[in-house]
Amino acid sequence: MYSGEFDGAAAFSGGGFMPSQATTVPDPSSSFSKNRNVRTLLPMTVKQLSELSSNDESSASIDGADVNTITVVGIVCDMQDKEPQFIFLIDDGTGRIECSRWAHEQMEFNEVNQISKGMYVRVYGHLKAFQDKRSLNAYSLRPIIDFNEITSHFVECIYVQLYNTRLRGGSSNQPQMTNSNHLKEYNAISSNHYSFDEGKSIDQMVLNFLRRPEFLANNNGVHRNVISQQLNLPMDKLMSLSLSLSHVFSPIKLSAMQNGTS
Amino acid sequence: MDTSNPAVFVNGGLMRMYVGRRIRTVIQVIQSDGGGVTGKSTDGHQLVVKGPQPGFPLTTFVEVIGIADTDRSIRAEIWNNFGNTFDTQSYNQLCQLANGEFKHLFI
Repeated sequence: MYSGEFDGAAAFSGGGFMPSQATTVPDPSSSFSKNRNVRTLLPMTVKQLSELSSNDESSASIDGADVNTITVVGIVCDMQDKEPQFIFLIDDGTGRIECSRWAHEQMEFNEVNQISKGMYVRVYGHLKAFQDKRSLNAYSLRPIIDFNEITSHFVECIYVQLYNTRLRGGSSNQPQMTNSNHLKEYNAISSNHYSFDEGKSIDQMVLNFLRRPEFLANNNGVHRNVISQQLNLPMDKLMSLSLSLSHVFSPIKLSAMQNGTS
Repeated sequence: MDTSNPAVFVNGGLMRMYVGRRIRTVIQVIQSDGGGVTGKSTDGHQLVVKGPQPGFPLTTFVEVIGIADTDRSIRAEIWNNFGNTFDTQSYNQLCQLANGEFKHLFI
């Protein structure tokens, strides 16, 4: 028996102790899609929403990512006041979707009163389905003020789709996010499990990173810490790469090294 | 949910692909008169936008949603003021992506 604060290391050192009883690492094979504590926020187009494959809105997924909360940007084509429910028809250029906003408090009424027909808005909401009709249960609608946000939203839709299909291999294993705080919202699972399907993809990532113009122009090289941080690669994985010198050094630098010059 | 009438993101160079179809684009207004609005697309082409003009004054950058009559003219349905500053380069890149390998996300 153990008393006080449990010390896993001490327990293992004593022998005869089952690690599975001590550790609390989540089973990687568990279905995260059924974990109701997991929340994702995905920027999507209405076209993407229309193509979601699911039997009901609680288990929808796209490109291997669970769909919980989504955000769309579009024009308000129509508004219906059925207080306390307000229904907005949003057209984002790829399609139209109905968004319901329930207002019970003054702050919520104030938010709804800001919205008018013909206005560009940003909507955050949960997808819901009723009798084969998909709509959004919006919990936030706000007018777009800087119209670069429209461009930004659709670029984000493209990025997320690319990220979920190519960079993650479309698997349900969600890798660690990049350093950008802006992208953290795409991944609600803050897992320390970080994996690639193939080792050579890490090589290629590092090589592509080193070939960036700003690094090619700089003859001083790139510190491994910079590579590790920018690509969010653990140092041990970075150091285990087998990149040849001809890949890493520019031809001029390589010949200078061979000739013994700096 | 209705995806039957999309408006495709286009710049001047992409309009030829969607003549007769519903498009959306952002132009920088050069001239506005009875014959329509002349503007510069995000990739530098001159476009003419015809149709009933909105009842409000146009800002420097305007989004036009309508039907592409030709590869250089639009019959506008909706006008949206986008203000006097706008990142045309990013928008132009978006148009390229939305009509390239990521077309399936839009139309």
